Amino acid sequence: MDFWKAFDQNPITHSAAHHVVAIADLIDAFGYARVSDVARLLRITRGSVSVTLKSLKQRGLVIEDERRLLGLSAQGRRIAQGIRARKQILIRLFVDVLGVEAEQAGIDTCKIEHLVSAGTAGRVLRLLRFVKSAAPEAQRFLAAFAHFEGACTHDPATCPCCDEVCLADALAAIEESELRDDD
Amino acid sequence: MATPEQMQALNELFAEEIEAAIRYLHLAVTVKGLDRLLVQKVLLANMRETIEHAQTIANKIVQLGGVPSLELRLSLAPRKASGAEAIRTALAFEHAALDAYRELLDTIHDDVPLEEFIRKQVEVEAQHAAELSLLLEE
Repeated sequence: MDFWKAFDQNPITHSAAHHVVAIADLIDAFGYARVSDVARLLRITRGSVSVTLKSLKQRGLVIEDERRLLGLSAQGRRIAQGIRARKQILIRLFVDVLGVEAEQAGIDTCKIEHLVSAGTAGRVLRLLRFVKSAAPEAQRFLAAFAHFEGACTHDPATCPCCDEVCLADALAAIEESELRDDD
Repeated sequence: MATPEQMQALNELFAEEIEAAIRYLHLAVTVKGLDRLLVQKVLLANMRETIEHAQTIANKIVQLGGVPSLELRLSLAPRKASGAEAIRTALAFEHAALDAYRELLDTIHDDVPLEEFIRKQVEVEAQHAAELSLLLEE
């Protein structure tokens, strides 16, 4: 299965997603968005913004009026709203359910907010609605999960989560390599 | 004496110019087809000129008592471009740089040397953009 190809076929790149959401955020905050505002918000050069906007304008997602103020087309607005909604859903999941620090949750959701399908985001939202409901099962689940430490046996043969390799070991290896990269 | 805001704007212009030079180089090596014969030369010449602009800005920052700083976040996709596409991309970042110079010019009211310096840069950048636009005319 060529799952990796779905990444390339995503309707909007990571960088383009940031530009679309930045324009939406600026318009919401100030009523207008200029290339210089987008550049300062994203902490990149105006040249970078202009080059990305060139392709977003060609695709009809971003519009620019005669005063050179930027706006979003109906499709661009839909994309911005979709990314914002997915980000919010994922942040709620990471912070409220999984207990990830808010800052780390922001960094991690930024990497995937535009890639997660609406269907999967919908399933996550359903899970959130459940765990944040007043249902006693949900409350018990959250309380139990918060205190669950579940010692790992590091034995995929007996683990209900792992198949061929120990996922905890794999994650530990990733963390170790990230720490090395930081050095 | 330049204000902190003007100094920040000059550093942003320094970044614009350095990044533009990198973009010119990337465009020059990725331009495809027969256009490559002509357009590559233009893009490389612009790259060299843009590096000179960056140096001029950096020198100005030093003359004003600052130290040039540079923060770039640049990712260039491995994508070939026709001559016209490359020129259109170059025009996009040239216009952005021109706007940045003009915006800084609007903030200078009582510093004649800095104003004259930026005005000259605006003229050079405008000429740059105009030359590129001419290449796109039929």
